[in-house]
Amino acid sequence: MRIRRLPAPAAGAVLTAFFAALTACSSSGPGAAGAQQPGVIDVSGSQCGGTWSVPGPGWHTIQISNQGTGGAEIDLVDPANSAVYAEIENTGPGTVNPISIDFGSGKYALVCLFSDASPLKGVTVTVPGHATGTPAVLPVTYNDLIPPAKTYQAETETALKVLAPETAALAAAVRSGNLTAARRDWLTAHLQYETLGDAYDAFGDFDTEIDGRADATGVASPRWTGFYRLEYGLWHGQSLASLVPVASRLNSDVDQLVAWWQTQQVPLADLGRRAHEVIENALEFQLTGHDDYGSGTTLASTVASITASRVLLALLHPLLAPRYPGLPAVYTGLSQLQSLLEKEQLPNGWWVPVSALPDSARLAIDAACGQVLQELAPVASITEPRNTVNDF
Amino acid sequence: MTSEPEQPVHGEATATPGRRSFLRGMAGGVAGGVVAGGVAGGFAGYAYRGTPADPAAAANAAAVQGRLPAVPFHGKYQAGILPVPQRATAVVSFTATASSRAELAGLFQTVTDRARFLTTGGTPPPVGIDGPPSDSGVLGPTVLPDGLTVTFGVGSTLFDSRYGLAASRPLHLTPMKSFPNDDLDPAQSGGDIVLQLSAGNTDTVLHALRDIAKNTRGGMQANWRIDGFSSPARPAGTVPRNLLGFMDGIANPAVTSAAQMDSLVWVNPPASGEPAWTAGGTYFVVRLIRMFVEFWDRVDIEEQETMIGRRRGTGFPLDGTSVHSTPDYPADPTGDVIPLTAHMRLANPRTPETASSAILRRAYNYNRGLDAVGDLDMGLVFTCFQQDIKRQFETVQTRLIGEPLVDYISPFGGGYFLALPGVTGPSDFYGRSLLA
Repeated sequence: MRIRRLPAPAAGAVLTAFFAALTACSSSGPGAAGAQQPGVIDVSGSQCGGTWSVPGPGWHTIQISNQGTGGAEIDLVDPANSAVYAEIENTGPGTVNPISIDFGSGKYALVCLFSDASPLKGVTVTVPGHATGTPAVLPVTYNDLIPPAKTYQAETETALKVLAPETAALAAAVRSGNLTAARRDWLTAHLQYETLGDAYDAFGDFDTEIDGRADATGVASPRWTGFYRLEYGLWHGQSLASLVPVASRLNSDVDQLVAWWQTQQVPLADLGRRAHEVIENALEFQLTGHDDYGSGTTLASTVASITASRVLLALLHPLLAPRYPGLPAVYTGLSQLQSLLEKEQLPNGWWVPVSALPDSARLAIDAACGQVLQELAPVASITEPRNTVNDF
Repeated sequence: MTSEPEQPVHGEATATPGRRSFLRGMAGGVAGGVVAGGVAGGFAGYAYRGTPADPAAAANAAAVQGRLPAVPFHGKYQAGILPVPQRATAVVSFTATASSRAELAGLFQTVTDRARFLTTGGTPPPVGIDGPPSDSGVLGPTVLPDGLTVTFGVGSTLFDSRYGLAASRPLHLTPMKSFPNDDLDPAQSGGDIVLQLSAGNTDTVLHALRDIAKNTRGGMQANWRIDGFSSPARPAGTVPRNLLGFMDGIANPAVTSAAQMDSLVWVNPPASGEPAWTAGGTYFVVRLIRMFVEFWDRVDIEEQETMIGRRRGTGFPLDGTSVHSTPDYPADPTGDVIPLTAHMRLANPRTPETASSAILRRAYNYNRGLDAVGDLDMGLVFTCFQQDIKRQFETVQTRLIGEPLVDYISPFGGGYFLALPGVTGPSDFYGRSLLA
């Protein structure tokens, strides 16, 4: 599956290291800039903004100038409950960054989380009146995500233990020379694998071995292994005898994955990201037919991806429900997409290939998938683990 | 701070982020540099008051930054129909996937809301922690209108059984006719809905397309799309050229003449038999026409000019002395000067009998890579507006059947649409008179 390459070290814990390098540059930077200039709110490891104000409710931009010697995360919060209105996730020393929000009537405070200083909370700024503004979102913390991550770990382990005998049965069918059984067992095992939501490098190099595409290698390469390699052979007239090594290798790779998974820990930020990434993958590779190596079952793979997304959403539900008003639309959208897909399952259990879909069905499926992806997009932002002043 | 509120908005030249960088962020979001909250002496407070969509400020910022000012969105007619082609355009056809008539109305309202914002300009909502950014950022933190127009039309297929609109179908709205020289690709033809986005720059067009698409994913699904451009007039003061090298669209009805527009462009219910809801609309024909430019470039200049009927260099009619001089066909009845089969002469014979077939022609060039033999895939996004497709476009096109030029061009897609009546105010929306 596709691997999202993150631009920065995985969230949170590495913040300090990330900014250590920047700090070295700062000695001739902001410190030398001299007296604070008007129009900008200065923050540092010893002062979180001083006195500031906005002229009243409405849309305002405040400029945050990092006068400290280290990198920092600056949040604008509701001091009553630390719910976050806006944040600057990483501001380097000497930089000025805007925070732009619609200020409603209420209380606001800056929180300064410097990598090289104790966390600080600034003064409380009160905006008078009865205006409604940008809502604050209660941050999701690392601690919040540990229980769902543990559950995910365990559920995935259980699912992998279902997969392993399925790939063993598949290998046996290939060895027995029964093409019908081999194709049936291939579909069963592959869909089980797809329900694991194998995006984001969750399974490390195993995913390339188990579910890699022929994009880089070409279909004739001996380096191409896994479910798709086997699919290609089973649906392109290759002899079952020639596919025995492929099926055996797949089975042993899955066995190794089962063992390896028990030693891994899920990065906390991945839970929310995977919830939409598995559907993004389905749109890019399954609904386009890219990953159809002959069986015509990419719509079934998309249904499996919906299952994977639902598993993650269920784990995150207690965190999402109070924070995301659009959550019901996510569930509705997934159900609509699934019912459109299931209309394309044939009575014999196989599926209409994407390439054979009537235009009306294809357009409806693609539209439903695009829409639910829009609804899913906030999940990752909301469930990204955040430091709060209370964590220190 | 109050000493500097009138500081002009810095353009792209402001390089490094710093204490002045916020000035760029103010563009379009703040009217007249209203700055409040600054107090001298150790007070760090600062903020400015901005309105998210302030047209005056946006237009001002646009002028400063070299982008076109806003074209007013509200009006009896859609704003993108009469103006001459802008530098950049995109035409996108969609199939409606809304599951009910109410959802379709919601879709049209959403398109209206986005179009209203995009054509007016302003600052998109800031990025919070509750989701990814609402705006693609392609135009920077503040959306400048850059002359953006959004022309929204509907095709005949929208009036099938899905939404109960069959009885409301505009009288002359049919699937696009295939003419003898056409080679129409169904995958690049037709559509329930068409959007034409035009603006001063390509980034403005693409920003608008991404914005509208992301807000309408569930309700409509794109079928085909083509991007176009119009060139600067060369030499200055003449008419932009197409990719055959000829000036294109010289003779057009006068858009400043309400009488001509009423008789040629705007549909005319109920006298014409059109449903009342179409008042303020116009038929919108899109034709995607490949030009075989390599072949064309191997044709000598005399043959090129007699096929068209004009001088390539000057744009003059073959019998004329200026771009806009009227060819004298009565003086040339056998076509000795301007052949009877010249494109210009067939398209517009300039007789009293053919005057009512005149169209408002708005063509763009397209350019999109290579064909199967390595030739350049470029041509024309021909668009025109008219009161009656049969009386106008189809009549003109019928006259053109078999013209010598057909060897060098190939119409391959497009569609017939009705450009909806204009959105008249903040509570109106595209198609309200159809769907309400």
